[in-house]
This record gives sequence, structure tokens and C-alpha cells, in this order.
Amino acid sequence: MVCARECPSWCISINSHTEPISDLPPTARERTRNVLDRFAIDWSLCMYCGICVEECPFDALEWVGDLTQPGSGSDGLVEEMVQPPS
Amino acid sequence: MTEVSPQEWLAAVESLKADGFDYFDWLGCVDEIGRQDCLRVVLVIRNVGQGAELRMLSCSLPRSAPRLDTVSGVFAGAAWHEREVAELFGVEFIGGDHRRLLLSPEFEGTPLRKDEVLAARTGMSWPGAKEPGESEASPSRRRLVPPGVPDPAVWGDRDAAQPPADPAEVAESAVGGRVRRRRT
Amino acid sequence: MRWVDWYGDGSLFVLDIALACCVLEFDAAARFAAGPLPPLDDRAQVAVVISGTVTDRLAPAVAAIVDGCEQLAGRRPVVISFGACASSGGPYWDSYSVTKGIDQLLAVDAYVAGCPPPPEALSAVLDEVAGRVAS
Repeated sequence: MVCARECPSWCISINSHTEPISDLPPTARERTRNVLDRFAIDWSLCMYCGICVEECPFDALEWVGDLTQPGSGSDGLVEEMVQPPS
Repeated sequence: MTEVSPQEWLAAVESLKADGFDYFDWLGCVDEIGRQDCLRVVLVIRNVGQGAELRMLSCSLPRSAPRLDTVSGVFAGAAWHEREVAELFGVEFIGGDHRRLLLSPEFEGTPLRKDEVLAARTGMSWPGAKEPGESEASPSRRRLVPPGVPDPAVWGDRDAAQPPADPAEVAESAVGGRVRRRRT
Repeated sequence: MRWVDWYGDGSLFVLDIALACCVLEFDAAARFAAGPLPPLDDRAQVAVVISGTVTDRLAPAVAAIVDGCEQLAGRRPVVISFGACASSGGPYWDSYSVTKGIDQLLAVDAYVAGCPPPPEALSAVLDEVAGRVAS
């Protein structure tokens, strides 16, 4: 969430939920893990500053050389980057 | 920087111009809230003939009723700078041009004063307020406040029983740069 | 108004509403100098590119220019919102004086992301408008 927090334009939206971990030894206490539901960047707000790429402690984001595809419609430039499990 | 009183402001500018400082550089304003309860109008004029030597004049005006003589009679170019300061800080330049410069006529407020809150940021829900494992920002006391938005206890979600927050408190609370946890 | 004959052959005329930094990328992408609009034949297209931050004070003027383009050209122009500021206010969306995207006042046909977008992004969008790319 560091990227969403540090983005100066507030263009990154992240939703997640917690799920219990199932295969644990019988005496272990219940543990949960975070599951990503949605990672979206609104490219119409993004100013390509790179703070998100620098700040991610897990290096999950990287620069790519492709052009951002143009959009149509007022939400045309919001890119959903997480596909829901089929 | 020379501090001048509002009563001496016009005379000081006229006498500097007579001394050869005849190039008007800029006129601006600083909101000193938090340090002093005033708006500080600053003017820089230069003597181009003498190696661009400059003089900086400063005048402190009370935030509640900031009024100052216009210097546009001495330097016509000062009119634009004064119009900008007037609409963004709320300073009244006596005898000056009172037309708006950059803001639309319906606009209300003095945006560059430090206690003016950036309303768009307070209205939008901040994506960074969610913690890992959440899909909506929890209303718990660990909620974070983004830079530029005052602490809700100061402005926005203030306890109705308390008096309105002092402008200095709002200004200090809205200072950006660091994400802060909501004070409980 | 001054229009760029984008391909030099009279097939596409582009008007740039040059508001801020994105205009430099428009200038880099345009290969021909701008001039007055010549009489158009039926197949010619017109496009209006809004480059840069739209302030509340200027927004009505931008809308008036696009309406004027439609009257001048005799056809509805393709409206392209070039860059983050024109698309949604961009990094200045929270400002007291910025309109959150020109689509608050006009119908926009294409939004180009970038801050600023590279000139190739504009060329690619105009190629699509002109039908020169299998999209």
C-alpha cells in the first residue's frame, strides 16, 4: 500500500482482503494472509513521477517502455491490473 | 529586507524610486500564520544602472483586515502583482485596481492563505487510507490522513461541542509532506 | 485559428489548443507548420487537440473554440484530450482553479495518458483517427 499512500496524484487504488491459511499443523494458531482483489492505476491522473516504483519495498512495480494505450469514455484510462480468479 | 509600516509604504517606494531604484521587480505576499498573525507583503525594486542593486521592502498586515496603499501610481506594472495578491490572499490595495486577475468572478475564498483547506482532497476518499487486507478504509483510530488534509478532529469532523478551530491550528494541521496518523 | 495539415496532403487538419507543457509535445509531433484552414473536401477530417491544464477561468473559452471549429470546418471535429491535465485535471486535480478534465464541458473522443505524453502517442492516436492504422 506504500505506492497508494505515496502517490501524489492519488491515482493508485488497491483493494485486498484477508483469508485464513488452510494447511497448518493442527496445533498452530490461526493465521491469515492478504489477498489482492484490485490493483488499478488511473492513467489520466498519473504524472509518471516514478515514486511508486521507487517506494515499493518488494520491487513489485517497474518501468516499461510501451506507450500507454489511449482510452475513450471518462473511465477509459483506468487500467485494472488484477484479473479476478476465473 | 527593510520592514516598513503600512502608513509609510507608499512614501518609502516613492523615495526609493527618486533615489534611482526605478525598476519594479515583483510584489508578493507570505502568510505568516503560525509564526505571527499577519500577512507579509514583500516588494523588490532594483537600480538597474548600479549593477541591479535591489531593495526589498516588507510590510506586515493584520490577517483580519489587510489593507495597504497601492503602488501602481508609482510603478504601473505593480497593478498585476497587486491584483494577484488581492485575489489569492485577500489583501485590499487602497486606490488600486480591484478586478480579478486569474480566478473566475464566481470564485469565493482566498486560496493561498495557509488556513484555506484544499477542499478537493478532503472530499475525495484517499486510496492510501486502506491498510493491507482492507477494501474500505476502516473508521478505526489507526486511520491515516493524507498530506494537505487537516486532522479531522481539527477541521472536517470536529466535535460540535468545541468552538471552531483557530486558523493557526488548521494551517498547522494541513501541512503536507508526511503522512500522519489520526490523533485520537 | 491556425491548423496543421498533419500528413501534408489535406486529409487531416489538426488544431492545437495550447494551454500548457503538453503543447511542446504537440509541436514535436507536428511535421508541418500551422496555417489557416483551406477549403475542405468531403473526405478531409478535422481534429482538435487540447494540450495542457484547463483552468476554470479558461474552460468556457476552450469550449467556445471547439464550437467555433465545428462551424468553421462544417463538420464535428474529433476531440482529443492530450495529457493528464486535459483528461482529468492530472496532478492538479485538487487545485482550486483547475477543471477536472475538459470532458466536464465537451464530449471527448480520445484520451491520451501521459505527463506529458511522448509525441509518438499523439501521432499514434491521430493515425487511428485518420484510419491509417488497423486498430
